[in-house]
Amino acid sequence: MAASFLFSQFISGLTTAMFLFLIASGLSLVFGVMRVLNFAHGSFYMIGAYLAWQAVHWLSPLVGAFWVAALAAALGVALLGGIVERLLLRHLYGRDELYQLLLTYALVLILADAAKFTWGTGQLSVSPPALLAGSVKLFGTTLPHYNLFIIVLGPLIAIGGWLALYRTGLGRMMRAAAYDREMLDALGADVGGLYTTMFVASAFLAGLAGALVSPLESVVPGMDVQIIVQAFIVVVIGGLGSFWGTFWGSLIYGEVLAFGILIVPGFSLFSVFALMAVILILRPWGLFGRPIR
Amino acid sequence: MIRRHVLALACAAGALLPFHASAAGPIKIGFPIPLSGPTAVYGVPILKGAEMAVQDINAAGGVLGRKLELLPRDSKGNPDEAVRVSRELIFKDNVDFLIGTLTSAEAPAVSTIAKENHIVFIAPSAETVRLTAPENLHPYIFRTATTTAIEGAAGAVIMAKWPDLKRIATIAPDYAYGRDAVAAFLAEMKKLRPDVQVVDQQWPKLGEPDFTPFITAQMSKRPDAVFCEIFAGDFITFAKQAGPLGYFKAIHNRLADGGQVGSIDTAIPLGADYPYGIWADAYDPVVWPTQKSAEYQAYERNLAHFMKSKYGSGWAIQGYASVQALVDAIQKAGTTNDEKVAKAMLGLTYQTPLGPHTFDPLTHESNTGDFWGEMVKDPAYPFAVIKDPTYYNPMPATN
Repeated sequence: MAASFLFSQFISGLTTAMFLFLIASGLSLVFGVMRVLNFAHGSFYMIGAYLAWQAVHWLSPLVGAFWVAALAAALGVALLGGIVERLLLRHLYGRDELYQLLLTYALVLILADAAKFTWGTGQLSVSPPALLAGSVKLFGTTLPHYNLFIIVLGPLIAIGGWLALYRTGLGRMMRAAAYDREMLDALGADVGGLYTTMFVASAFLAGLAGALVSPLESVVPGMDVQIIVQAFIVVVIGGLGSFWGTFWGSLIYGEVLAFGILIVPGFSLFSVFALMAVILILRPWGLFGRPIR
Repeated sequence: MIRRHVLALACAAGALLPFHASAAGPIKIGFPIPLSGPTAVYGVPILKGAEMAVQDINAAGGVLGRKLELLPRDSKGNPDEAVRVSRELIFKDNVDFLIGTLTSAEAPAVSTIAKENHIVFIAPSAETVRLTAPENLHPYIFRTATTTAIEGAAGAVIMAKWPDLKRIATIAPDYAYGRDAVAAFLAEMKKLRPDVQVVDQQWPKLGEPDFTPFITAQMSKRPDAVFCEIFAGDFITFAKQAGPLGYFKAIHNRLADGGQVGSIDTAIPLGADYPYGIWADAYDPVVWPTQKSAEYQAYERNLAHFMKSKYGSGWAIQGYASVQALVDAIQKAGTTNDEKVAKAMLGLTYQTPLGPHTFDPLTHESNTGDFWGEMVKDPAYPFAVIKDPTYYNPMPATN
C-alpha cells in the first residue's frame, strides 16, 4: 500500500471530518448552553444547501456568485433560526425536554416538506466556484482545491469559535448560562437574548455548512435526516456540550470511516458505530463530555 | 299486478347481466415508484412513460370498453414505503393491478404483497434475480426489466474484449442489485478471462452522499478497469466527486456501468461533467446513428411533447412497455380478473416501441437486454450520448 494513497485516504477523511465539525459544533453548543437537542439542525443544513443553490441559480453569470450565495444562504438560515427560537422554542425552555424534542422533530417534518414544495423532489447540483475548481498534486495524489479549502476552514472555525467562547465577554456569558442559568438570570443578564444569539449562531453555521457542501454532494430531500444522524454520532463520541470534543469526534469519525473502507471494505459504516459503542462503554459521557445535570 | 310482474322481470334480467358490466368504471393500475430521492431520476420518467401509454390507450377507446386509470404513489425508493403505499393502493383504492417499484429492494417486498392479495404485479425496473427465483416466484409477478444475470454478463462480455486487462475492480451499491450484478459479472468474467485478477471491491450504500473514501480506496489498488453498478442520482454524485479526484483518468476511462447511466436522464443532469469514454447502457438510447422505425420515431416525438422536454427520456419506455404488456394480457384474457390475466401473461408477446418482447412462461421474465456503448460527445447534443448503441443479451434464458 503506497504511502501516497494512505495520505489521500487521510485527506478524504479530513474533508468529511471538517464538514461534520461545521455542522456538529452548532448542535453541540446549543445543547451545551441551552440543553436543547435540536433535531431540526439537519434541516437548517439542508435549507442552507437549497438556498445556496437558489442563489447561485439567480446570480450565476456573476463572478464570485458562489461565495455571495454561500453567505446569503448562511444568513438566511440564521434568520430562520432566530424566528424559530423567538416564536417557538423559547416558550418551551422551562418545560420537560420531551416538548422541545417534539417541537424540533415537528420542525424537521415541516421544513422537509417546505423544501420539497419549493424546490421539488429532484437532485440539484452546484458547481464548485471557479476560484477553487482545480486540483493540486501532493505526495502523488490528486487533491481538489475545494476539499483543501474545507480542510483549512474547519480548524479556522474551531479556533474562531474557541476565541469567541473563551476570549470575549459574550462568550463568557454563554459559558455562564451553560453552567448556571438561574444564577445568571438573577444577576440581571439577558439570558433570553443570549439564547437567541446562540441559536442564531448555530443556525448560521449549519446553513453555511449546507451551502459549502453543495458543490461536493447533491442537494436532495433526505439530506437533513442523513446528516443529523452523523452529527449525533460525532457529538456523542466527543461529548455533548464540549466544543473541542466535537472537533476530535469529527476527526475520529472521518478517519475511521475513511480507513475502515480501506481495511475492511463492506464494513466501513459498522466500524464507526462499533467505535461509538466502544467509546461509550469506556467513557459514557464521550471523550470530553461531562455528566449532564 | 302487471307492473309487479314487469318489475320482477326487470330485476331478474338485471341479475342475469354478466358480472363485469356491473363493475364498470375505470381499470385501476396502482403505480408505486420513487418520485423523490436519488432514484427518482429514473422513477419520474418511468411514470411519465406509463402515463403516456395510458393516455394513448384511453384515446383509442380503452381496454374491454373501459378506461385505464393510473394511481401513482411515491415509494421514495424505500421498500417499507413501497409496501405501505402498495397496501393502501390495494385496500383503500381497490386497484386491479400493480405496476412499479424501481429498486431491487422494493420489488421483492411488493411482490410478497401482490402474492398475498392475488394482484398481478409488473416490475419495469428492478433487476435482482431473486425477484423471480424459484423460492420467490408466484403466479402474479412479471418483469419487463432486464436482470442482474443479463446485465452482469453483458458487462463481462464487453470488458473481456478490452486489451491489457490484468487487474479489475468493482464498485456497486451494497444491496441485492449491486451484489447480484457483480456476482454475475465476476462469474462470466472468470469464464471469459480466467487470467484477470480482482484487486478491489467497494460497496457504498444506496443513496451514499459521499463516495470520496470509496473512490480513493479503489484508486489505491490500481485497477486497470472497473465494473460499476452505481446508478441514477448516485451516479451523478459519484461522477462529480470521482472526476476531480482523478479516478477516471487513473483508469483511462475503462469503466463499464450497467446501471443505465447511458440514459439521457442521467446524461442531461451531468452535462459537461459526464465522464466521457466510459461504457454505459440504456433501455432506450434515444439518440441513434441510423433511422429507426416509424413507430419508434412517433413514440419519441410524442414522448418529448408529453414530457414537455426537448429530448424525451431513455427510461420512459419501461413504463410505457409495462402498461402495454398489461393491456395486451387483459385483452388476451378478455377480463380484468387477476388470475386469468396472470395466466394470459405466460408466454405473452407484447409490443414495445423498440420491438416485441415475450414473457417466459416458466420464469415470468422478459429477458430484456440493454443497449451498450461508449459514451461520447456529440456536437448535436448538449449531453453525452451512446456511440453505436448495441443490444447485449448474453444470457437469453435466466434462472
